[in-house]
Amino acid sequence: MNEHVKSRSLHLCTHTAATLLSLLLVMVFDSTKATVATQQCGSTLLQTLKLARFAQKESVDIIKTYKASQGDMSEIICKVSLSGLPDPNISGLESSEQMSSVHSSLQEFSPHFKRVFDQQTDLQLPDSPLLDQLSVISRRSLYLDSQITVLYQQLFPNSPPLGADGGATSLPPPQNVFQQKVYGCVVLKTYKEFLSNVSKYLRTLKNQMCGINARRINMFF
Amino acid sequence: MTLNAMQLLKFTWLLIVFMSLSSWAKDVIPIPQQVSLSENLKTQQVSISWVGGEATTFDLLILRTELNDTVFYETVTVAAEASGQSKFLWTSAEPLECTSLSFRVRSRSGQLTSDWSSTQILQGNDSPTDERMQAYPQDKTVPAGSNITFCCIIGEGKSFDSFHFISESINVTRLSRRTYAATVYNLKPSRSYGHNAYCKGKTEAELYGAVIFVGYPPLFTDFICETHDLTSAVCHWTEPRKTQLLGRRQTRYSINGRNCSVVHLEQNRKQCSFPRWEENWKLLGWNPLGEYSLTDIADVRSRVVPLPPEELSTVANARNATVTWQWKLNHYVSLPLVCQVELMSSDDKTKRTFSGVGLRSATLLDLYPYEEYSVKVRCGAQQNFWRWGNWSKTISFQTDSEIPSAPDVWMWMNGDTTGQILWKPYEPRKSHGPIVSYEVTLWSPDDITRHTQIVSPETFAMPVNLSGISINNTKVIASVVAKNPAGLSPPESLGLPLHVNDLDSEAITKVDFREGAFPLSWQSDANSSCGYIVEWYEASCQRDCPVEWIKVGEEITNVSIKSDAFEPGVRYYFSLYSCSSEAPELLKRWEGYTRELAPSSSVQLSTEQQDSDILISWSEIPSTHRRGFLLGYNVYLNNGSQLTKLASLSTQENSYTVKGFPLGSYKFTVKAFTSAGEDTGGTASITLESSADWLIFEILATLGVTALALIIVTFVCYKKRKWVKSAFYPAIPEPKVPSDWSTPHGTLDVKPSPHSMVHIVEKPEWDSSKEVLVVIPEEDEDDEGQGIRDEPVDTDEPTSLRYYNQVVDERPIRPRYPDSSASSASSMDSGRTDVTYTGIQTSGSSLVFQSDSQSSSDQPLVVPESCGGADGGYRPQMQLPPENDNASLAQSHSLPESQACRSGGYRPQNNWQLDSPDEADERRSLAPSLGSPTSIASTQFLLPDQSSDELAEEKHQSSAATWLTNLLSTTKP
Repeated sequence: MNEHVKSRSLHLCTHTAATLLSLLLVMVFDSTKATVATQQCGSTLLQTLKLARFAQKESVDIIKTYKASQGDMSEIICKVSLSGLPDPNISGLESSEQMSSVHSSLQEFSPHFKRVFDQQTDLQLPDSPLLDQLSVISRRSLYLDSQITVLYQQLFPNSPPLGADGGATSLPPPQNVFQQKVYGCVVLKTYKEFLSNVSKYLRTLKNQMCGINARRINMFF
Repeated sequence: MTLNAMQLLKFTWLLIVFMSLSSWAKDVIPIPQQVSLSENLKTQQVSISWVGGEATTFDLLILRTELNDTVFYETVTVAAEASGQSKFLWTSAEPLECTSLSFRVRSRSGQLTSDWSSTQILQGNDSPTDERMQAYPQDKTVPAGSNITFCCIIGEGKSFDSFHFISESINVTRLSRRTYAATVYNLKPSRSYGHNAYCKGKTEAELYGAVIFVGYPPLFTDFICETHDLTSAVCHWTEPRKTQLLGRRQTRYSINGRNCSVVHLEQNRKQCSFPRWEENWKLLGWNPLGEYSLTDIADVRSRVVPLPPEELSTVANARNATVTWQWKLNHYVSLPLVCQVELMSSDDKTKRTFSGVGLRSATLLDLYPYEEYSVKVRCGAQQNFWRWGNWSKTISFQTDSEIPSAPDVWMWMNGDTTGQILWKPYEPRKSHGPIVSYEVTLWSPDDITRHTQIVSPETFAMPVNLSGISINNTKVIASVVAKNPAGLSPPESLGLPLHVNDLDSEAITKVDFREGAFPLSWQSDANSSCGYIVEWYEASCQRDCPVEWIKVGEEITNVSIKSDAFEPGVRYYFSLYSCSSEAPELLKRWEGYTRELAPSSSVQLSTEQQDSDILISWSEIPSTHRRGFLLGYNVYLNNGSQLTKLASLSTQENSYTVKGFPLGSYKFTVKAFTSAGEDTGGTASITLESSADWLIFEILATLGVTALALIIVTFVCYKKRKWVKSAFYPAIPEPKVPSDWSTPHGTLDVKPSPHSMVHIVEKPEWDSSKEVLVVIPEEDEDDEGQGIRDEPVDTDEPTSLRYYNQVVDERPIRPRYPDSSASSASSMDSGRTDVTYTGIQTSGSSLVFQSDSQSSSDQPLVVPESCGGADGGYRPQMQLPPENDNASLAQSHSLPESQACRSGGYRPQNNWQLDSPDEADERRSLAPSLGSPTSIASTQFLLPDQSSDELAEEKHQSSAATWLTNLLSTTKP
């Protein structure tokens, strides 16, 4: 009787130890996996996401400045819709296609920014804050585009590299000043909407690539 | 019928004539041909040209094509050009794009006109083929204050909603099916981004507008061209008014037809440079609203403005410095120049001018040693001076140090041989460098010994004691020198007085403070060889005072003393000393206040009664608390809330005698006052009492009267002693006991005295047990005494009074209570009422037992409750009413005797005191015996209790009378 009890107790202990060992192995594996994932998605994606969010915040600020620099009733000017601007939405089904779409849109926005800057130079005093902010968002879009390119190369090393020019951008024909004011506001609003979509896309991409552990890390950013 | 035919014929004839004339006229006035339009959308002008033959007058009709509204219909006179065309320039109020316009022309000759020409249509942008929403004019620049008409063409198939300019909604006029116009008047200058005008359709997407820029045409002044190098030109001008136009609309400039790159300077100044000088200069500025031009004509030599000197440097000495600079252009080497050097020190700024050909340096003289300076230079052409060039950069330098000037030395001597050598800190620029130390030397011409002491630069006084100076020395001199890095200053010497001669206080003169200073003046002193010294210090200071001083020349006999240290309410002494080779001699002294204040403290007041007067005296206020020259003292009677002025005294008086005040308490206040007012005042109180002499007199008079009265009474009593004896102390027969000669210890039954007969009166309303004792007055004795004596008062028992012979019985009174009790007990047995008296005493006022009476207040008292109800009768003191219970007894114990019997009745002359509670109980145990024959033993007479008023009168009886009564009662013949 005692022998049987001892054997049963030994069996239970052995089973418990095996369970604990398995659990420990699973935890170590999971930790290793998370570490690798963090290393993969850590810097570039998170930096790109942060940059997109920062650029989005700047776009919100510049729209306020823009409206204040166009005269009375400029609010209603910004409600006019125009065609011929980059699509704020991100196209493509695959992630690489979407990232390529972001790259293309950023490149398309760049000449529009230049056009708006030139137009506003004719309307604003040389020390106007709007001109400074327009220069800043134009440079920021280029930097964001370069970040997207680097991220694309990291995440999709086997895909063909992103195009340098992003395709020909069609600018609107010469405009009267009223049209310029409308055009500038629509460009900025579209850019803001585009950056919002980019941020959402990058967040989704981060969740896909980095997993929960990355989310935990990202909580601190 | 014939008549009708004739009329018809006449009408037909007239019609033919009229038609003939009309046909003739048309054939004569040609219809304008080849009508053509040429529009300028920017200026909103249409040039209408036609070929009208020889006609010079035309009717011009312009209609809005769609609605056929007349826009213009006038007769114009136009001369035909060489080509035969006639032209008319028409300006439209609305932009030409707003809607289509129809133009027709006809020739006119007086009242005759040709037919209208064919209609020429200027197509607007509201045609159905252009479905866009539009607004006009676009990007137009108009001058401020003008009016402008906007038009809005809504989209094809859309509806118009509203038109807005800036933030206002503007009323519109419909021009065509799709076009609406609105006019804005008196436009204000716009900001750089223009004014927004827009129209809205019914939906939010239907929005279109235009931007208009409102500003001014160019305007500028002060156009001048100058040269820095005699070759190139720099032209500048001022724009007094901004055009409010920017970007493509901003003003552009050209000088002599060449565009210039405008440099914006401060204060709306603009500048443009050209490499070569020209004699004539024309500045032209233009913008969309107009143009403006100015000219300048000048020779290059008359417009030379040198560039600022560069690379300034200095070489500085103690008293001068040389500034050198370089020229950027070599042209200046041979150019006569005039330069201005601005020299700035900490508190001064001066400009010094130098000139020379190609000037490159300047020497600055009369500088202060060891002083910080800043310097900058600018130059102009010496010949044909046009204006100064710009200032060079500023550089700083410091001059070298130099030995200090002699210090300003003075002294302060205390009353003895001690004192201080004082010297002033150097004023700026006097030290000529940082002071390192001071050296103070005491020496005498009679002695080769010198005592030198070196002190720090922060020390400005050194104590001296001349007591150690040899008595052979007739003169002691203090010399002070200052030392800085450049060396020692010249010594400043001062003779010290070996004996201090001060002035009397009467010799001090008051001086007023006027216009911020104390003006002092004095007579010139012949002994003063080197001027005068005026010192001042606070008058309250006695030793080692912080004195200030100034030294003036010997030709000066007045000076105004100013100091920031002067404070109001502080007295200052000003002393004038003569300066000579000997020690300074005090010539004169002043005292003064910058502003007098009321004294800060009050006098110390004391009062004293002198007979019926009051002497108020006070001490002087300390000088530091006077804060002004005391003018006197005001004496007030202080009744607490009001001060009544009694006197105003001079400062020489420090006491005042108040006379004629009745006795009582008084409070006096004395206030010292200056020209600024009174102090708070010192207050003292006194109670004015009758004088001691008068009191002694009164006492002696009273004693004399009393003694005289006693003598008289004694004399009368002596003369009437027999009567007195018989009246107050009748002879008591000696008991004759054959067997016993000793003094009887028991009670002695005697017949009641006729003058103090006591008998018991039984009142009908009383209980039979409540008996009262009635004293039969002595007067009644003569009249009714016999009758009463024979009349039985107590029907039950004979009444007898029992006396203790006080002379014989020497036992104390109180221990007799047992005897009395025993007597009572025996009387109970005998059924008689015995009253025993040991003396005659007024109620409650026995002098003999005054001490016992007082002590008895602590003892339980037995006071008959019924004494309040007794009215004029006699009762034994211990007789208690039957209804008396213990409670009432206990209550009555606490009552004082006077209260217990105040309402009347009788009471014992002295309080009965029970030796012990047992005795009290024993007394209470006697209560059941009331109503039965009782013997009462008393050591005192029972006197009739009087009314309250009488009692009060009793208290006012003189003690002398009581004493006399007792004296008589205890006197035996």
